[in-house]
Amino acid sequence: MNALRRRFQPEQIRELVLIVLIIGIIIFFGTQIENYFSPRTFTRISTSVAVVAIVAVGQTLVILTRNIDLSVGSIVGFTAYVVGTILSRNNDIPPVAVVLLAVAMGAVMGSINGLLVAYGRVPAIIVTLGTLALYRTILVEISGANSVLTNELPRWLVNLPPVNVFTIGALDIRLLFFTALLVVIIFQFIASYAAWGRRLYAIGSNPDAARVAGFPAQRIVFTAFVLSGALAGLAGFVFLARFGNITVVAGQGVELQSVAAAVVGGVNINGGLGSPFGAFLGAILIDVIDNSLIRWLAISEFWRDALLGLLILLAVATDTVIMNRLRKLWLRHELQISGSDAPVEKGGAHHAV
Amino acid sequence: MQHVSKRFDATQALEDVSLTLYPGEVHALIGENGAGKSTLIKIMTGVHRPDAGALLLDGKPVHVNNSQEAQALGIAAIYQEPMVFPDLNVAENIFISHRNRGMLVNWGRLYKDAEAILAQLDVRLDVRMPARGLTLAAQQAVEIAKAISLNVRVLIMDEPTASLSAHEVDQLFRLIGALRNKGVAILFIGHRMEEVFRVADRITVLRDGKLISSRVRAREENLPAQREQVIREMVGREVGDFFAKVEAPRGGLLMSVRNLGKTGVFTGVNFDIYAGEVLGFAGLIGARRTDVGLALFGIEPADSGEIIFAGQPVQIKTPEHAMQLGIAYVTEDRRGLGLTLPMSIATNITLPTLRRYLNNLGLIRRRDEQRTAEEYRDRLMIRTPSVNLEVGKLSGGNQQKVMLSKWLNARPKLLILDEPTRGIDVRAKAEVHHIISDLAAQGLGIILISSDLPEVLAMSDRVLVMREGRQMGIFTRSEATQEAVMTAAMGQQAATSAVRP
Amino acid sequence: MQSKWSFLRRWEGLLLVLLIMIVTYNAFNTPGYLTVNNWVNLFQLSIEKIIVALIMTFIIINAEIDLSVASMMGLSACLAGFLYAGGMPMEGALAVGLLAGIVAGVFNSFWIGIVGLPSLVVTLSGLIMYRGLAYVLLEDRSIGNFPAWFNRLGQQPLIGPFPLAMIIFFVLLVFAIIILHYSGFGRYVYVIGNSKEVARYAGVRVQRTKMLLFVASSTIAALAGLLYAARLGAVRGDMATGFELDIITMVLLGGVSIFGGSGSLWGVLLSVLIILNLRNGMGLANLSGHVQTGVIGVLLILSVLAPNLFAIVRTNWSRRRARATEPNGA
Repeated sequence: MNALRRRFQPEQIRELVLIVLIIGIIIFFGTQIENYFSPRTFTRISTSVAVVAIVAVGQTLVILTRNIDLSVGSIVGFTAYVVGTILSRNNDIPPVAVVLLAVAMGAVMGSINGLLVAYGRVPAIIVTLGTLALYRTILVEISGANSVLTNELPRWLVNLPPVNVFTIGALDIRLLFFTALLVVIIFQFIASYAAWGRRLYAIGSNPDAARVAGFPAQRIVFTAFVLSGALAGLAGFVFLARFGNITVVAGQGVELQSVAAAVVGGVNINGGLGSPFGAFLGAILIDVIDNSLIRWLAISEFWRDALLGLLILLAVATDTVIMNRLRKLWLRHELQISGSDAPVEKGGAHHAV
Repeated sequence: MQHVSKRFDATQALEDVSLTLYPGEVHALIGENGAGKSTLIKIMTGVHRPDAGALLLDGKPVHVNNSQEAQALGIAAIYQEPMVFPDLNVAENIFISHRNRGMLVNWGRLYKDAEAILAQLDVRLDVRMPARGLTLAAQQAVEIAKAISLNVRVLIMDEPTASLSAHEVDQLFRLIGALRNKGVAILFIGHRMEEVFRVADRITVLRDGKLISSRVRAREENLPAQREQVIREMVGREVGDFFAKVEAPRGGLLMSVRNLGKTGVFTGVNFDIYAGEVLGFAGLIGARRTDVGLALFGIEPADSGEIIFAGQPVQIKTPEHAMQLGIAYVTEDRRGLGLTLPMSIATNITLPTLRRYLNNLGLIRRRDEQRTAEEYRDRLMIRTPSVNLEVGKLSGGNQQKVMLSKWLNARPKLLILDEPTRGIDVRAKAEVHHIISDLAAQGLGIILISSDLPEVLAMSDRVLVMREGRQMGIFTRSEATQEAVMTAAMGQQAATSAVRP
Repeated sequence: MQSKWSFLRRWEGLLLVLLIMIVTYNAFNTPGYLTVNNWVNLFQLSIEKIIVALIMTFIIINAEIDLSVASMMGLSACLAGFLYAGGMPMEGALAVGLLAGIVAGVFNSFWIGIVGLPSLVVTLSGLIMYRGLAYVLLEDRSIGNFPAWFNRLGQQPLIGPFPLAMIIFFVLLVFAIIILHYSGFGRYVYVIGNSKEVARYAGVRVQRTKMLLFVASSTIAALAGLLYAARLGAVRGDMATGFELDIITMVLLGGVSIFGGSGSLWGVLLSVLIILNLRNGMGLANLSGHVQTGVIGVLLILSVLAPNLFAIVRTNWSRRRARATEPNGA
């Protein structure tokens, strides 16, 4: 038990619980829906989760610093539309350049947010509410209310969604899902191993201390917003590849879905706690429910938003109520040890005399 | 040997202050609140810029614009409230600011290095544990470890003992000794004389932004004389100048407290308080005196024992209930808990009693509110051009008087004053003492919680001493000598103390 | 508190000047701009949002936020429409719609006041949940054919040139101003917004005040949703989507601090007038509704950025000056 306590933090237990929950829900729907346990279900869910998962990773970086990015939905729509338009006019641009273009566009928009939040000291919720409107406006203006159409796009892009990277048993890992997976792995690595990532946690954990701690807190917050924008740009490209037809309202609501995924995945809205992997699990949980309800005949598919809202609330309520207890349990254990006069292994400040 | 020296010539909050720190020396800086100590720290760490004057390191002038630059120069500060990151573990907290450990965290090496540094300091701490669960003392140890790991040359400690128990203070001083031996220059800002004289090699007194004196600590036999001299310089007057409470006839029994306790906080508190009496609560910081006050006011209700108020047993669960009974609590945290600084004096004064100023429609009768505020301005001599001024614009002493007005206006029978003179200037202090004496003479029962021992002794009819959540005894005015109270507060039950419930 | 006209020197003063400029510009460029009818039309186009902005002012001054209001508007309207289509008399359907607002308000305040969750998260989930429930009721249908009296209430003037929604707005505005700026409850709203702890230490019932506000917020949102249904003459699951952002913008632009404790209804009123007139002016200049939204988004950011920039420039300047004088002081 002690070894367990030492190895696992309450947060990791939370992620385990999330995985168990996802499996439980899948088993439940398996009994309810015919042909649920099929490779096609996996493909469907893995394809549709990609956009939100990528955005949720960026959102997590921002939320960890006790900020929020509500503009990501507009950035997804903007990049999807603009990249789509450019491609439909010029089918010969190399794919790598296209992806880079999308990421760069997102990064520029993210850097505007970051500049205003980190250096302009405007609260993130105000900045990103403003740019949520602003980026969408610019999109509507330059679009002239036209849409991007699938048949104008180059073949390689239209054929992208069914591309397989590899196959595990009967399950196909599609390129778009693989991209999301890669993003999650990279940023999970950064969050747990890079100095920059650890400082994200520090800033959200105690912003006042971060200001006097001797590392460039402002620049780190700025970079978090840039990355959130860049990932939203990447998600815009995935969005374009997946849907082909892009209207000016593309990506609307992604901001709330990404916040929901992060929060359900255990990212604390007040910063300092959570991980990209958790947000990924949150996105999957939401998407599994979403996709399964559509196929579940017992209730109307229209229940999905209502249930999603309730799910977020319960996730946060468990986080606050149960996790606080769990943490206290951990803490009390630590304190007991530190309070005893036995040789100290953990907790408390004890000086060898 | 490196020669670390610093020089300031700053004006305004600091007026032409120069001081020098030497490696391997603990330099104590003392002065009453508002003397300019915090301004000095902020200049050294780059939060503020001096209007005039310069900072010299190794004899060369340096500019410190922010915490990163201060860190690069080897200057670090440890504050009263440790600035740790609660969600990061101990090892990370030590190394989070390091810039030379590469882009990636090697967790294994991080833990090993952290353990090595803590071992150097003789601190045993699980480096994998999140800082959230650490005691304040342990958090300070982490910060000191951090400073050492950054090869700090100048370490500023701003009242680091303020929230520590006596045992923890011992641990801290051992750490300071270790640092001194490593050749670190330490600026120790303190407010408790015993501690300052225990730890410091050199003592500098600051008053009203001016440097009053700076001297090497005297030898053992001359210490008492030096201590008195320092206190005189700090206060700017004789220690015996404290205003003493005017004797007033003791009224009827107001409240009895029997075996009051709160799990994990305090236990076995017993006392009676009479109308017209000032009952002092003495003890070191961490003695849990404030927690008893909060329990009596219903903010953090007690969970065992009983309170008999005006002959009736009562369970005080909310502040509203306490106020109905006639109990008022004036907090020690003026800015955080006592006053809404951006709002006006009048608004603050009428807040607890706002219901009295509402007409039948629930609207505020502004004229009555104004009149009350002006009444208190005259009565307590609050120095302000208008009662509509923001409270935040007043000096500490006047803010304190606004807070007193606020609670006197609730017309309490029992007034709990928590550190009523902390951080206010000498004149305001004397005024507050007069007010307390007058109130007692008018028949109020007053509980005076104060860490200022001479104040407690001068103002109280009886003194209750607490230590680490336990009541150590109640002393009558004649029994309550500085030595007796201090002995009880430090842990030994004084022979003379008779525990009277 | 402050004297009656001192607000002119603050943020509200700036807004007033801005408003006068915009109105003057519009008046010179559009014939018939300053007529009562034109102004009624201006108001009528966003009247539901303006009504909700009143209570949102209370909530933000209280240092909280309610993101669920627009979904609540949709839900109450859809519920009333659903029941009406199911054969319930319109009066009853409206009453149930309003009741739904109260229930949702109690639900929100339970999580915020009693469980102690942040209002941002609770109302974010409310935003998704209430919208979801609206879809559950109507799926992708639209319900219209309401009784004529109901449509008339939403579309025709009731007293003089003013339709019902505007009259409700004026009444609520007067109440809101009296409550926020002159009553004991309003005083508590400000104090709690400044510091929950100071209020608690003064015996103020912090949780009760907060819960009351969230119940009021949902109820007024439900009322606004029903008014919206009357004006449109039909209800759909997606009605009022995204209104929460417009509403919060109105409040923040009015000088209410997102951190609570400061701001006034006068400021919000001015910012509403500015937004209406700006939209109108931009509409006349042939700018699309989306551009108008974008401009207001920029305005929102600028309103907070401008004072900050000013402060940053000032400190930098004084630093530079300090450094310049240093050689003499050392």
